[in-house]
Amino acid sequence: MSPEFVRGAGHVARPMLLGDGVYLVDTTLRDGEQTAGVVFANQEKVRIAKLLSEIGVHELEVGSPWLCVEEREAMKEIASLGLRARTRAFCRNTGDIELAAATGVDGVVFSASTSDKHIAAKYGADRAWVLARAAEAAEQARAAGLSLVISAEDASRTGMDFLLTYATAAQALGAERFRFCDSLSVLDPFLSYQRIQTLVGELDIPVEVHCHNDFGMATANSLAGIRAGARFVTVSVGGLGERTGNAALEEVVMALKHLDGIDIGVSTAHFREISEYVARASSRAIPVWKAIVGTNVFAHESGIHADGVIKNPLTYEVFSPDEVGLARQLVVGKHSGSRTIQHKFKEFGIDLSDHEANEILTLARDMSVELKRSLFEKELMYIYQDFARTNEQRMADEKVGVMDEE
Amino acid sequence: MRDNFAGFLLERPAGTVLGPIHIDDTTLRDGEQTAGVVFANEEKLRIAKLLDEVGVYQIEAGIPTMGGAEKEAVAAIAAMDLNCSVLAWNRAVVSDVQASLDCGVDAVAISMSASDIHIEHKLRQSREWVLDSVKRAVVFAKDHNVYVSVNAEDASRADMEFLLAFARTAREAGADRIRFCDTLGILDPFNTFMKIKTVIDVVGIDVEMHTHNDFGMATANAIAGIKAGASYVNTTVNGLGERAGNAALEELAMALQYIEGMSLGLRTDKFRELSEYVAAASNRPIPAWKPIVGANLFVYECENRATATMADPTTYEVFPPEAVGLTRRYVLGKYSGVDTLKRKLEEHGLAVSEDEAVALTYRVRSKSVALKRALFDDELIDTYETEIAAVRDELAEAGPAEEDPVEAAARDAVAALSEVADES
Repeated sequence: MSPEFVRGAGHVARPMLLGDGVYLVDTTLRDGEQTAGVVFANQEKVRIAKLLSEIGVHELEVGSPWLCVEEREAMKEIASLGLRARTRAFCRNTGDIELAAATGVDGVVFSASTSDKHIAAKYGADRAWVLARAAEAAEQARAAGLSLVISAEDASRTGMDFLLTYATAAQALGAERFRFCDSLSVLDPFLSYQRIQTLVGELDIPVEVHCHNDFGMATANSLAGIRAGARFVTVSVGGLGERTGNAALEEVVMALKHLDGIDIGVSTAHFREISEYVARASSRAIPVWKAIVGTNVFAHESGIHADGVIKNPLTYEVFSPDEVGLARQLVVGKHSGSRTIQHKFKEFGIDLSDHEANEILTLARDMSVELKRSLFEKELMYIYQDFARTNEQRMADEKVGVMDEE
Repeated sequence: MRDNFAGFLLERPAGTVLGPIHIDDTTLRDGEQTAGVVFANEEKLRIAKLLDEVGVYQIEAGIPTMGGAEKEAVAAIAAMDLNCSVLAWNRAVVSDVQASLDCGVDAVAISMSASDIHIEHKLRQSREWVLDSVKRAVVFAKDHNVYVSVNAEDASRADMEFLLAFARTAREAGADRIRFCDTLGILDPFNTFMKIKTVIDVVGIDVEMHTHNDFGMATANAIAGIKAGASYVNTTVNGLGERAGNAALEELAMALQYIEGMSLGLRTDKFRELSEYVAAASNRPIPAWKPIVGANLFVYECENRATATMADPTTYEVFPPEAVGLTRRYVLGKYSGVDTLKRKLEEHGLAVSEDEAVALTYRVRSKSVALKRALFDDELIDTYETEIAAVRDELAEAGPAEEDPVEAAARDAVAALSEVADES
């Protein structure tokens, strides 16, 4: 299912030969970096591009060429690496496309807002003006030998009539695909499905879904778009992106694989590693509860869950932690049960009776409530040592008592 | 499956939300059940109070059968005289329910696994045993006049025929609703919709959604369930909960209001305050990018967006920051443009010409790249003070024609965009 890439020379666009699959367009380096406060160093950008290409991401949106010299240098370096992933620059007009061409990227995505609100507020223009800009951009991209994607910003707030006009114009202008952006996250999965289904029905070129997470539905909306026939999906590592971010690479890939049965051949075992790298480079630590890659997603504390996992991991896990580069942990705290205690001590080489496990559980729960957190393994051992000492003492006392009676 | 779904959509337009929706917040139960999270009792009471002020319908206060501090907290919350209902969590065991009744709650949740994998591997019991246990516990609870929710754990992996029997058993024993738990977060919104619709159509019982975020779809799945007719939804503040967490209260409430057009009448302006408190109590800081309540949500750096929102916030905002207790801010960085720069300088009483603003913007961008972050206002002032003379000399001496052609094209692009913005 993995697509065949044909490496072209110079500025000749590499055509993408489509199979039946779903293709990832990662925008960590563009929309991800566009996040207020996030800046990657150029060498970090290059490293991220390499990592993404290595795990099998199909296309990378590598930057916005108009920003500054440093940005164009990073783009140039990434384009010169000869990565398996195709490279694309984000452009707003012909000037940007000219700058992009000089960096050696494979293609450009021309983006214009299509909602009446944006057209009026941002461009002070009308719909015809937007279509004319797209036509200019297409001409410029063709002249430069660049692969072209045409994108509709704020597509989700655009009247369907004009969106279809713009999309069919994009197709006629030679765009290799059309991108639908839910820039403000105003859709739910059902509304996304309907919009994308309509677009896919009208177009011969593939459709890409680009979703944001303002209401926590970026991944669900992306999958709804794919269900409706979109072949490309915009993602970013950890969901990094404007405001609440984009659909997270790791969530989309794992949901496609485990919920929809579509394995797009990405090496998921590197998800934790790549997430950690992007987290450092963007100075945004991965929350321990982050879906797919958070260190807590395979941590089981509650007695019921831990007991289930000890008996059979499938009771509370859908995939094995090593599939995404994580490890399972049993955590002892307020909600633990005696089975977890027995299991933990078995790992330490100590067999506890049911009675002992219950006694230690009570002590551990009390300690957890007092400390307002779960316990470290060391603390568990301290509890055991104290417990064992008290027991020995008691047995000794009892023995003395027995002897006295004698 | 795609065809079936298309049929449902025709039947029920995608924008439709049925009936009133009741929020049952489980921050104190599933939230605290998260590995590593423990609330002090004082914190539990405070969270209950805040949730009540926000206006949730029901609070799942804890698990009385654990005894000790947990039981005391549930009893104390039940005694607070809140406007909302107070519910306690139980296994389908009579002694658990008795512990809840001891606390004086008005509602109980009776939980039992519904999937074969849980019944065989975790409970090591039979389906009959499951149904008998549910029946016994529900009858006992109803005899004591409390509201009863029967929680079908792992319902998303349950055999549908058995799940229907499970729900029917609950209803016939007197349960008021069934909680559909996607315990492992394995559903997508389309599967959720179909499963919930089936349960409601066949069994005819109120359904509560309980979704998990393992694949990032907890909120979307909860909304899918609501669209299929569920009238109760289990949430947590910040989405706190086992593993990747539950559906977040703030996401769900705002999505219902702004995407589905249904207001729950909650005090959403208290969301940030509530989230901050739960974040502090759970020792899990709110990520800056957290949907609805993240500190970064109304911070604008990107030129395009900053310029547009200065003129009209609705170009890039679905709701204003005050709606959730946040504020709008502009920052200068690699992606920012002349409008933010001019605005910031004006705030400090400094005026620059258009050409000077463009030249300074490039210097700000380079500085941001070098520092790998956005600039503080003081750093902008430093940049202005140290660079303005050189900028003016450059502009006086050399024309833009002598610039590097690539640089000139970029400069033109920036200028063109700001002209467009000025026109609008």
